[in-house]
Amino acid sequence: MIGSPPVPRVVPEAPTGRVVGGPGDPGTRLLSGPAAGPEPLASHVARLGLLAPPVRLATLLDTVAASGLRGRGGGGFPSAAKLEAARRAMGAPLIIVNAAESEPASRKDHVLGTHRPHLLLDGAATVAALVGSSEVVVHAHRNEAGGALLQAVDRAVEERRAAGVADPRWLLSAGPDAYVSGEASAVASFVSGGEARPWFSGNRMAARGPTGRPTVVTNAETVAHIGYLAHVGLEGWWAADSPDGPRLVTLAGAVATPGAVVEVGGRATLGDILHRAGWSEPPAAVLVGGYAGTWIDGPTAWWTRFDHPGLERVGARPGCGLVAVLPHGACGLAETARLARYLAGQSAGQCGPCVLGLPGVADGTEALAAGHLRRRGLDRLGTLAASVVGRGACSHPDGVAHLVGSALRVFADDVARHVAGAPCDGAGHPPVLAVPADAPTPSVWR
Amino acid sequence: MSFVVRIDPTRCRGHAVCALFHPDGIELDRWGYGQVVESGLDDRRAARRAARAVAACPNGALLMMEVVDGSGRAGGSSDRGPVEEGHMVGEPGHVR
Repeated sequence: MIGSPPVPRVVPEAPTGRVVGGPGDPGTRLLSGPAAGPEPLASHVARLGLLAPPVRLATLLDTVAASGLRGRGGGGFPSAAKLEAARRAMGAPLIIVNAAESEPASRKDHVLGTHRPHLLLDGAATVAALVGSSEVVVHAHRNEAGGALLQAVDRAVEERRAAGVADPRWLLSAGPDAYVSGEASAVASFVSGGEARPWFSGNRMAARGPTGRPTVVTNAETVAHIGYLAHVGLEGWWAADSPDGPRLVTLAGAVATPGAVVEVGGRATLGDILHRAGWSEPPAAVLVGGYAGTWIDGPTAWWTRFDHPGLERVGARPGCGLVAVLPHGACGLAETARLARYLAGQSAGQCGPCVLGLPGVADGTEALAAGHLRRRGLDRLGTLAASVVGRGACSHPDGVAHLVGSALRVFADDVARHVAGAPCDGAGHPPVLAVPADAPTPSVWR
Repeated sequence: MSFVVRIDPTRCRGHAVCALFHPDGIELDRWGYGQVVESGLDDRRAARRAARAVAACPNGALLMMEVVDGSGRAGGSSDRGPVEEGHMVGEPGHVR
């Protein structure tokens, strides 16, 4: 049955890393505190204290730099470099907390925002202070998850006002739900009065955004980390056990609890995470970083450290922290084909190579999954996928090409069988990774 | 002072005049959309050709940017790659 991993039989050696549960579980850092959310201000302050101004800004910026923190929304851009660029830029930067969690299976920003709104706001206030801004926009999707998050943040803002917390001015923003509308430049464009579609300029947004002001768009989890760093310092955040700190991971696919968010730290491997997800031995494969992420075969994944250096060694990135599990007996190519079709339909329709190339990539992957593609078609698929890389205003086409490329590599044996006209046994397997049902091609951008 | 050529993919509609004016720096992809293959403009002749291509693009999709930090690396709209500070040279479509 799908979603029921084998009963753990083997107790592995002491885990090298720390994989703990969601809000309130013992051992959590970012999610420490009460299990039920949203956490009230009194509880937050009793736990972590107040971020009393004046915060020593230079020290704090050094702390962020020393932490090695990189963006947790998908891009993985070093946070300190982004803040530094915005500080150096002309004019007061526009600060946007990006809680528009577009990744269909990801829930970590939602869990964070609805359970620890004050940590999020502390982080946002810290970012504002660091770059010299007195105003912060918290942006989320208009959908149910985004609404719940903004409601929790709104209540937290009220509590802070009533308590007289020295805060920047808070602005809440809800935008279109489309997949690409959660991309950083699309969020910046929308918040600046334009469409929620990726925005191109020759400049970095931290230097000059859509309004002309320096614009800092930072993922909600990243912001919370900065807040947590401001509260507990490097030692408390890091506990000297990881190159880039704790991170939130959403579990998806064939796991005991799909949609569960866990906190990962230390030298945790994907094996540690999979063990937590109910696997006592490697699954067939793992999709890491999002639906436009990277496939890693199960045995390799099992010993791969879940951090930037570890994942880079196997050609992957933590991305948005999604870990989606493919069970034995399912077809990775069929899964990839479904994801590629969904993602191709989510183009913002702006850039030629994305609009014209991705449907062909999805066609080719579907044909491969169905066993209709031969060697020459496979070569054409590879060439087509490569030809969209780096050709968009955002990295949406790159992500799809990367997904398909990693599938061709990891499921090479299956590819050979499919191309020989004999699809694998998993071809009739029910879908493992859920894509939004009849996802329409996005049309609302305002 | 060094310049780089970039294409705004959200504006490009594949008219392909850029490749006509600046063939050493821009090639056309399978759909006829311009693709920068050599973003640097080392000699004056290349810079002149690129400027003509910028002026000829009917959608103002071609940009010539001055590289301020000297890295020569093209930036992106979001936060990919190293930080580059550059500014656009003239308005697209108005550079001779």
